[in-house]
Amino acid sequence: MFDTFSLVHVAAYIGAGLAVGISSIGAGIGEGYIAGNTNIAMMKQPKSIDILLRTMLIAQAITETGAIFSLVIAMLLLFGGMINPDGSWQLVASLFGAGLAIGAGTLGAAFGNGYTGGEACKGIGRQPRESKLLTANMLIGQALAQTSSIFALVIAMLLLYSTPTGDSIVKTLAYIGAAFSIGFGTFGPGFGIGIVAGKTVDGISRFPKQSSILVRTMFVGAAVSESTSIYALVIAFLLLFVA
Amino acid sequence: MESEIIRAAALLGAGICMGFGAIGPGIGEGFTAGKACEGIARSPENAGLLTRTMLVGQAVSESTGIYSLVISLLLIFAV
Repeated sequence: MFDTFSLVHVAAYIGAGLAVGISSIGAGIGEGYIAGNTNIAMMKQPKSIDILLRTMLIAQAITETGAIFSLVIAMLLLFGGMINPDGSWQLVASLFGAGLAIGAGTLGAAFGNGYTGGEACKGIGRQPRESKLLTANMLIGQALAQTSSIFALVIAMLLLYSTPTGDSIVKTLAYIGAAFSIGFGTFGPGFGIGIVAGKTVDGISRFPKQSSILVRTMFVGAAVSESTSIYALVIAFLLLFVA
Repeated sequence: MESEIIRAAALLGAGICMGFGAIGPGIGEGFTAGKACEGIARSPENAGLLTRTMLVGQAVSESTGIYSLVISLLLIFAV
């Protein structure tokens, strides 16, 4: 019905679509949440409009990174010369898998970053004097949440540049399995760390004196929440290199 | 060929298992830690108690993530 060459095309195009399509959901909702909360905060504190606008843009830029990772992978899939004429089933799986891994893998971190940024803007609306402390804590929290989407980027790059040749069904499904593992496995930790960081920023804006103990608790909670994305990374590496 | 397909399906299953299995613990543990931070902000004198309870709750929440890890490792190495 199909030869493998056209299947490689199909895989690259579906992968590119999945990458940008799924990751845009998170970036869109997250950035919208930030902007909505910024508007409410501006209404409450008309004197702090400049600080709020700046914080909103920083938070939105960080929330956007996951979608930009996905855009890069999608561009590489479409125009990066990945579509090898000597296509094989393993290449089909690795191109499709790269798109799925980065698309689903950046979704959770985008939700988490959006929540953190929104809480930070809400907090600045509550305590404009603590805006530097709040922005700094927002950035730390967003960086923690972003780690899971960087794991997804690593796996997507490995899948993209492995350029396998061969039709072993074991390897083919192992590549797709690795993409599922890292893609969906990083959703929870990315979102979860975002909730931790958002609540921490919220707490600091209410009680700025407790910031040190809150940041310490945030690190402990985020580290525990990160564990499952590390499990997913380990399983993805095992599927890519050992299986 | 048949054993190849079984092995391939086991590897795909391992990936799906770890991927979806990690969603719940990640969000749940993050929610726990977020609420703990909220509680510590309101009553910092109970920080020790709240952190301890947070870690116990996260350990319970982690269990399903570890189940997924064990099943994935079994699917990769034992099947």
